[in-house]
Amino acid sequence: MDILASLAMGFSSALTPINLMWGFIGCLLGTAIGVLPGIGPALTVALLLPITAKVDPTGALIMFAGIYYGAQFGGSTTSILLNTPGESSSMVTALEGNLMARNGRAGPALATAAIGSFVAGTIATVLLTLFAPIVAKLALKFGPAEYFAILVLSFTTVSAVLGASMLRGFASLGIGLTVGLIGLDSTSGIARYTLGVPELVDGIEVVLVAVGLFAVGEALYSLLYHKEEATGRHRLTSLWMTCADWKRSVPAWLRGTLIGFPFGSIPAGGAEIPTFLSYSTERKLSKYPKEFAASKGEGAIEGVAGPEAANNASATGSLVPLLTLGIPTSATAAILLAAFQNYNLQPGPLLFETSGELVWTLVASLYIGNVILLVLNLPLVGLWVKLLQIPRPYLNAGILVFATIGVYGMRHSSFDLLLMLAIGWGGVLMRRFDFPVAPVIVGMLLGPMAEKQLRNALSISQGDWTVFVTQPISAAFLALTLLVLVVPHLLHARGIKLHEDD
Amino acid sequence: MTPVRRVVPVQLAISAGVIAISAALAYGAWQFPAEMGFVILGAYVYPYAVALFLAGVGVVLSYQAVTGGFRELADHEDESAKVIPGGKAGVAWVTAGLLGVAVLINLIGFVLAAALLFACSARGFGSRHPLRDLAIGIALTLPIYWLFNAGLGVSLPPLVNAWI
Repeated sequence: MDILASLAMGFSSALTPINLMWGFIGCLLGTAIGVLPGIGPALTVALLLPITAKVDPTGALIMFAGIYYGAQFGGSTTSILLNTPGESSSMVTALEGNLMARNGRAGPALATAAIGSFVAGTIATVLLTLFAPIVAKLALKFGPAEYFAILVLSFTTVSAVLGASMLRGFASLGIGLTVGLIGLDSTSGIARYTLGVPELVDGIEVVLVAVGLFAVGEALYSLLYHKEEATGRHRLTSLWMTCADWKRSVPAWLRGTLIGFPFGSIPAGGAEIPTFLSYSTERKLSKYPKEFAASKGEGAIEGVAGPEAANNASATGSLVPLLTLGIPTSATAAILLAAFQNYNLQPGPLLFETSGELVWTLVASLYIGNVILLVLNLPLVGLWVKLLQIPRPYLNAGILVFATIGVYGMRHSSFDLLLMLAIGWGGVLMRRFDFPVAPVIVGMLLGPMAEKQLRNALSISQGDWTVFVTQPISAAFLALTLLVLVVPHLLHARGIKLHEDD
Repeated sequence: MTPVRRVVPVQLAISAGVIAISAALAYGAWQFPAEMGFVILGAYVYPYAVALFLAGVGVVLSYQAVTGGFRELADHEDESAKVIPGGKAGVAWVTAGLLGVAVLINLIGFVLAAALLFACSARGFGSRHPLRDLAIGIALTLPIYWLFNAGLGVSLPPLVNAWI
């Protein structure tokens, strides 16, 4: 009842013209960048962060959420028609959907992806509505020791699960933690690692690092190492799904949602694990295993429906830990956290009490956003495909110009622009040697938080380090951390490889 | 296991870099001024922990680098991956554009500096029409400039600086 009342309030505020407009812009932008290669939701939200200076928090966050969602919708279009996954989480879709397109079934593949994303997004939002308040209530009982343990768990999952090697993930995390150390220490007031450069006393902005790594790094890297792939575009066919298509898609959507949501809501590093899990589940359960890519078939519709549902559900799922605990589980969520912080809002259990209206408006906007996206994507898919006709030089040059604005707009410093360039070159090196990028962002954002919680925990326990293992909740999180360190090895042994979300 | 245990110099250098960062962190933490009063966990403790963590990672990375190279590199990223033809010229153009914007933005203003960046990066990515690119750049950056200054209140440096 309580939830329903809050949600109704959220809807009444989300349906105001101005908020609807922000949602619409977000969905539009999100779909566009999902379709376009080389620019993802994390980068887009990062570039738009300067608007937090002017736009009210509700509108801005609705727009950012729309971008996050829309990118998942749009990503499938490129994968199916071009076999170039716009987002890494649509890799499986590229595999199976492109096969369908090659065999003249592009339309049904696009339809099942879009409707599946809608179904999954909506169910996942219902789950978010139900579970987030419960998690928030639980989280109210957490003290600094528990928070520190959760943060350690997040560090480990984000760096151990993403990328091919746990070790290089940890290296990225360490770099991120190092960057997070730069600036004034909030407890003692000592300026740390500023090397006497005044610009560094305030620390390095997350946006700067994100833009450097994602936009500049990606641009330079693709110039150096990417070969232009001559992949033919497949023609659009009728979007009509046959009865058999529906019958095979619906269960796959539901299973995908059930796999995606929990994986998104635990710090397991983005949408890749659930999409791959969903894909292998569908392959096992399908009555038509011969149609799957692995058996050189014509492309199975379940193989598109399930993973697409899973990646959308996990995007929604990742809002649970973000809103209730203040812990991002993907690169995009990390940037969203930065957006909250720009408004002096600290996501966490108290957010539901102090900014209840904002939270519920955001949740309501997710329901609305899903409808907007379905409308934007299904009938208009032909329009989006036209975006791919922007010549590559202009697309990349445009991204770099926006990157410059995003960084320079923050504090008008040429120093920041030089730093962005340097970080971009660092990003090239990281990509070249397969170091994942997301742990850097998560490390620099959560590192200072972890230090603070560690100090608070030890102050409360009067310097007794055993609190972390004697408090049951904190001990459980640390035990989970150990599990996370072991499980990827088992997954790798079974041939499941994961990539990061950017 | 490969019988030949190669040393990969680039990777060894990266590993050494990680260890160097760790050493710098530890040295920096050692240099922090003393804190006053009752301190439960000084400002230097956590940096030391990060330094230790990075040192550990760096040592294992170096071990991998001298015993055949980093493990599980995606195949297109092993050290046989070659820079594609024209790639170096491309990054030179993009880097020059970004350097240029950093140096020039306060001198010639946002619109011109960003348009220059646009033209340089378009050139880096293979365009061969510098004047047209510059024009497109200005057509792109002018509305952005107006939007940011008027609409969002994020002030970017003026079109052309005060000397006009």
